[in-house]
Amino acid sequence: MIKKADIALFFLLLAAGLVVSFASLSADTGDKVLITVSGETYGTYDLSKDQTIHVSHDGHTNNITIKDGSVSMSYSDCANQVCVHTGAISQTKDSIVCLPNRVMVEIIDSKAGGDVDVISG
Amino acid sequence: MSSQADRSYALRTKKMALSAILAALAMILSYVEAMVPMPVPIPGIKLGLANLVILLAIYRLGFKYALAINCIRIFVTGLLFTGVFGILYSLAGGLLSLLVMYLLYRTEIFSMVGASMAGGVAHNLGQLLTACLIMSNIRLMSYFAVLLFAGMGSGILMGIVAWLVCQRLPHLKI
Ligand SMILES: [Zn+2]
Repeated sequence: MIKKADIALFFLLLAAGLVVSFASLSADTGDKVLITVSGETYGTYDLSKDQTIHVSHDGHTNNITIKDGSVSMSYSDCANQVCVHTGAISQTKDSIVCLPNRVMVEIIDSKAGGDVDVISG
Repeated sequence: MSSQADRSYALRTKKMALSAILAALAMILSYVEAMVPMPVPIPGIKLGLANLVILLAIYRLGFKYALAINCIRIFVTGLLFTGVFGILYSLAGGLLSLLVMYLLYRTEIFSMVGASMAGGVAHNLGQLLTACLIMSNIRLMSYFAVLLFAGMGSGILMGIVAWLVCQRLPHLKI
């Protein structure tokens, strides 16, 4: 039933997964909240300052709330509500994604220059 | 009519009937799956229950039939439950997974379990890449590891189930 090639492929995929995990596990606490809409920067906000940001874009509305050093999508008019159910995030490399409205919320470390790997347009 | 023509006609009918049954089964599994949420904020990324059916179709009916079953499943379940966005994700994942499973099947050095494992990973990877394209954001790739492991796990599971089905139903062979 199981062949040699299966086992080789299994360990290859496992190794690939572990390498990627270690690369992305080096999460730190960031200090800024970056909101992007359709891949373009909408705004950058202080993680330490409590506030609610209203994002209006193409007739869609998303409310992003910063409170006590964490961020959550408090309201979205999207159909699936995946973003709202994601809950609060507080570390870099965490993100909240609203795919239908193309809104993404990330925490970045302004000192580390977290914008480098963002594709624009 | 010659008996040979009769036989090829009967075979075609049998294949068509089995395709229809598998397509219906794939749709039911897609629906069941839609009710089990995955801990990833990307809609459409799922266990890949329907991959079980596609795997069986590749091994028992051939590439053309598997492709037809997969497309019917994606469009019908998409229109019924998830909408255009869902179809886009399912297509990216479903076609990549089908292709990978078929190629591994053709090499003949992998078992059903190996092919299914690779298919599961390809399924999730295809959807993740689509999400990156739609969001114009490569950072989504940070979900890569989770989805890779999830794809491996569900793929192995589905491969074992598919293998068991083939053992129990040898007359399914055409
Ligand atoms: Zn949303």
